[in-house]
Amino acid sequence: MKKSAVLIPIVLALVACTKPEKPTPPTPIPPAPSTGTLRITLVPEWEGQPLQFFTEYRNFMDYRTTVELVKVYFGNISMVEGTDTLLVKDVALFDLADDATVDIPVPEGAWSTVHAMLGVPAELNYADPALYGVDHPLSVSNGTYWTWATGYRYVMFEGRYDPDPQSTATLMSAYAMHPGMEPSLVEFGLSPSAGITIVKGQTTELQVRVAVDRFFHSDEFQIDLATEHTAHGNNIPLQWKLVNNVVKSMTLE
Amino acid sequence: MIRGLHIGLLLLLLVGCRKDSGLDTPEQDRPFALELPPGFSMPPIPADNPLTEASVQLGKALFFDTRLSRDNSINCASCHLPDRAFSDITALSVGIDGRTGFRNSPTLANVGYHTRFFRDGGVPTLEQQVIAPIHDPVEMDHNIQVAATNLRDVEPYRRLSMLAYGKPLDAWVLSRALANYQRTLISGWSRWDRWMQGEADALNASEVRGWQLFSSEALNCMACHGGNDFSDHDFHNVGQYLDYADPGRERITLQSGDLGKFKTPTLRNIALTAPYMHDGAMATLDAVIDHFATGGLAHPARSPEMRTFVLSPQDKADLIAFLNALTDERPLDQVR
Repeated sequence: MKKSAVLIPIVLALVACTKPEKPTPPTPIPPAPSTGTLRITLVPEWEGQPLQFFTEYRNFMDYRTTVELVKVYFGNISMVEGTDTLLVKDVALFDLADDATVDIPVPEGAWSTVHAMLGVPAELNYADPALYGVDHPLSVSNGTYWTWATGYRYVMFEGRYDPDPQSTATLMSAYAMHPGMEPSLVEFGLSPSAGITIVKGQTTELQVRVAVDRFFHSDEFQIDLATEHTAHGNNIPLQWKLVNNVVKSMTLE
Repeated sequence: MIRGLHIGLLLLLLVGCRKDSGLDTPEQDRPFALELPPGFSMPPIPADNPLTEASVQLGKALFFDTRLSRDNSINCASCHLPDRAFSDITALSVGIDGRTGFRNSPTLANVGYHTRFFRDGGVPTLEQQVIAPIHDPVEMDHNIQVAATNLRDVEPYRRLSMLAYGKPLDAWVLSRALANYQRTLISGWSRWDRWMQGEADALNASEVRGWQLFSSEALNCMACHGGNDFSDHDFHNVGQYLDYADPGRERITLQSGDLGKFKTPTLRNIALTAPYMHDGAMATLDAVIDHFATGGLAHPARSPEMRTFVLSPQDKADLIAFLNALTDERPLDQVR
């Protein structure tokens, strides 16, 4: 009797102190469809040669020109085959001077096109950036967020110029084109002639050559740095020229 | 003996179970008891950022911490001086390395009632507003994520962050805590407020005449400076310039009709918040009244509410006396 009187409270104590039951494990998520990786790399060039940042070039108007920064967002990156479209990544940031490669899990199969917008989808563009960690493409640490207006610079294109081709002076005049906000969203597709084949567990490379010299001119739009050198969400005409030229500057290997 | 054993085991049970029952948490966060002036409603509080004791304590500590600036030289209070109703005394505030901004730092009084932030309304929430001065190269020139990481293990931040938000200090916590502290900066305890509540001797005759002028149709001040905060929190071009160096609201909306429009500032504590206007271009209330009496310059986007009026020297003195009676009789800061 005495022994049980001692044991019962001990048992009670042990039972009562047991941590709350772990919740029932959720039903296992069905295995994801077999995926491989699509590796998109943007390769910056100037007139067909690898672009050297901070190196003086001549642009199409013979202006002495340097390129110091190129960052671009791709939004709503989707794989397309026939009438099927599959969203595979909401947003990716390419820093052409540093890290211009993004890996994206993609279901295995044959795809014809990568479709995207040059910029950040509206539903992400105005979200609170404090939600994102340092490694996220929308982190404020990337220097792409407009703190005074919210939203992101879809493209950051910066450098220096001198309209006088004869001058040897240090380039002092800066250009900074930062398209953003909805009027500057353009969509594009990248369609390799051989298609895009994603194999389970393997990485498929998609090298995109970016002719940065063509940011200043295309068949449709020319940018004269002497008068068109600044856009910070404003200057819609210049933003429009730049984003269209950027899209047209991209070709596949 | 057995009874003693039972009691001992019972104690053990209670002690052993304290974690589960929450009894070992000596500090628990609780709602912050925000004092509101008569007639004021509670400012809107975001669902993900309840106004709690720990959150406002955390926000206050951050507000006065120079480690939010890249070189540890300035804090929020450097440009939002508490004894100036959290505004600045210089026309254009000075950031790190002596860099100068391009707008006058406004008072933070009643900022919790605003629906758009900054003078051009470019930012929709107080939480997002916090990021801008920390990152602005002419203000703190820092990075909110780096600042938060640097302070994560520093007291009282570690403790208050866990208490308020249940996680270590990060950019999300930092922005929310600073926003909440600003929400506590309520202004509504002036002599004018007491007079409005029936204390007939709270204002003198000159101040009452000034209030009557202010609220008259002839001056039309209340068209924009009405309500508890003496502001509609909307954006207006008051014809300060014909050619605005600062586009104001147009910078955000890209609409030419918004050129030179800036958010109507509160008039509360206006005696403390000189210099005036978006760029601090007017040093005195006298100069501001002179400007408004002209109806402003004929800018295409000038507000239709602007109208000319004539004041006698006594009228002007009365008007200024009234404006001076809008100074709070107690500190704005409720966080002790």
